[in-house]
Amino acid sequence: MTLQARVRTQLGTLRLECDLLVPSGVTVAVLGPNGAGKTTLLRVIAGLQPVDDGRVEVDGVVFEDTATGTWVTPESRRVGFVFQDHGLFPHLSVLDNVAFGLRARGVDNKSAYARATEWLERVDLARYASSRPSALSGGQSQRAALARVLVTDPRALLLDEPLAAVDASGRLELRRALREHLSTFSGVRLIVTHDPLEAASLAERVVVLEDGRVTQQGPFSEVSARPRSAWIARMAGLNLLRGAVSSGAMLLEDGSWLTVATSVEGPALATIQPRAIALYRQAPGGSPRNVLRRAVAGVDPEGDRWRIRLEGAVPLVAEVTPAAAAELRLADGGEIFAVVKATEIDVYPV
Amino acid sequence: MSRGVTRRPLLGLLIPAAVAVLFIALPLIGLLAHVDWSNLPSQLVSTDVLTALRLSLECSVIAVVISLLIGVPLAYLLARTSLPGRRIVRGLVTLPLVLPPVVGGIALQTALGRTTPIGTLLDHFGIVLPFSTAGAAIAEAFVGFPFLVITVEAGLRQRDDHFEEVAATLGARPWRRFWEVTLPLAAPSIAAGAALCWARALGEFGATITFAGSFPGTTETLPIAAYSSFEGSGQIGMAITLSLLLLAISVLVLVVLRDRWLGALR
Repeated sequence: MTLQARVRTQLGTLRLECDLLVPSGVTVAVLGPNGAGKTTLLRVIAGLQPVDDGRVEVDGVVFEDTATGTWVTPESRRVGFVFQDHGLFPHLSVLDNVAFGLRARGVDNKSAYARATEWLERVDLARYASSRPSALSGGQSQRAALARVLVTDPRALLLDEPLAAVDASGRLELRRALREHLSTFSGVRLIVTHDPLEAASLAERVVVLEDGRVTQQGPFSEVSARPRSAWIARMAGLNLLRGAVSSGAMLLEDGSWLTVATSVEGPALATIQPRAIALYRQAPGGSPRNVLRRAVAGVDPEGDRWRIRLEGAVPLVAEVTPAAAAELRLADGGEIFAVVKATEIDVYPV
Repeated sequence: MSRGVTRRPLLGLLIPAAVAVLFIALPLIGLLAHVDWSNLPSQLVSTDVLTALRLSLECSVIAVVISLLIGVPLAYLLARTSLPGRRIVRGLVTLPLVLPPVVGGIALQTALGRTTPIGTLLDHFGIVLPFSTAGAAIAEAFVGFPFLVITVEAGLRQRDDHFEEVAATLGARPWRRFWEVTLPLAAPSIAAGAALCWARALGEFGATITFAGSFPGTTETLPIAAYSSFEGSGQIGMAITLSLLLLAISVLVLVVLRDRWLGALR
């Protein structure tokens, strides 16, 4: 079972141009900022949103193909969609909600309710069978929504921001439960989220979607270690620099040079850990180090590491101890020298 | 609502507001003051009153059923689809709200009267609407059903089609979505709309008397009977009794429906 989607569509101001391949047995997370088109992508796959141009295929069945005019209605796709608000019908009991999909597909009432009851037990909600969804907590309603979808044995499982409607205290437990249910589901598994933690903990692969386009994909560890966009770099807490490398020197966009220790040549990206940046009020001596002149733009205290925002044509973030921040009078702003060792700069080709 | 600067009412507004309350209350007090309480029980169970009451209930319930059967589908199409001419249709539906009921009755006469094409056709099947009980029900439906359509449409608009989408991804076909999701979720507004429609139909006078006349036992509903005894036979006592009955029914509707059903309108 595989999901293949090629989507080209305009929705308001958003232009979605995205190719997606999700093999079964691998949970893929589409990760991106709000408004990047993540939910739209899920709606396209589920058949709730037609595209201007494109093709969607799951498990060898073509759901939509604008080239041939193929269109399969959402009710015939057998795609399980867990909505961000979970979408439990407020006028039905939890059991009726879970049995809904089976009854809609023509399963007789007796076996529909038997299977729904069985699933409610699996997600530990049997005692809420006759309750209304409004009586459930965020985590419980998420589990009920998941059971309602899984009981119908869908070809693909789509989860839209699975933990967004759940309060922080319930997330840990729910994330564990969610991972367990995902691992036992053999079809296509696709999650959409803006939360890197969710993507990292639930998915084996991430596809980064920004402004309607895929900017990067791969295992989360790779994507976050070598970001290709400012958004991913910020998410991973790294400084991202763009430039071109020529025999150990990297020319940045603002015209300044960095000495780097790399064999990469040509257009390249480089990351610097904020804690690898040392700050000085006076320009330090010594040769093998890079000295960048910046202005302090802001100080964000975060526990025992304070994040210092540095202004310039290429802005940076540094992390120092509160003691160092006080000693350097960083809260006063002013000119500062950021110093980075060549070996602390990770350079990789664009 | 009344906090801060608006807590102390303006005296200049208080006086006209008090007049407004009296304006509503005085006629009601007058009515109650003229009730012949000793004869009331015997009048209430007299054949004339019971006949008019039975007829009123019959006609108004039929009017509500007709309104539900044609009004709910129309409200759904107006709220959920982008059919061309929706604005014109919506305007047309609300017309009976502002149209003088007498005009409605005359219009029905010209459309469904015995000599009209439709009237002739119905005649073939032995159906005569003008001056019949069915005609009275039709006239009441004509005047009452806009209330239902407007209320149900507003109720449907309050929600988008999110739950219909959910139902679709769960495999429900369009009719199942309509019966099992759309209608139950719209139930409060349908109930409120039906209640308003029924109350309007029960009090309907102008269109009914114009289209169906006032024949005791056939088309003389409570309001028409009240008017007849007041104007025609000079029995003001009977007119007051019938009015009291209508007032009691209205208050009952208000009390029973206030929180449970009309809440959907807020």
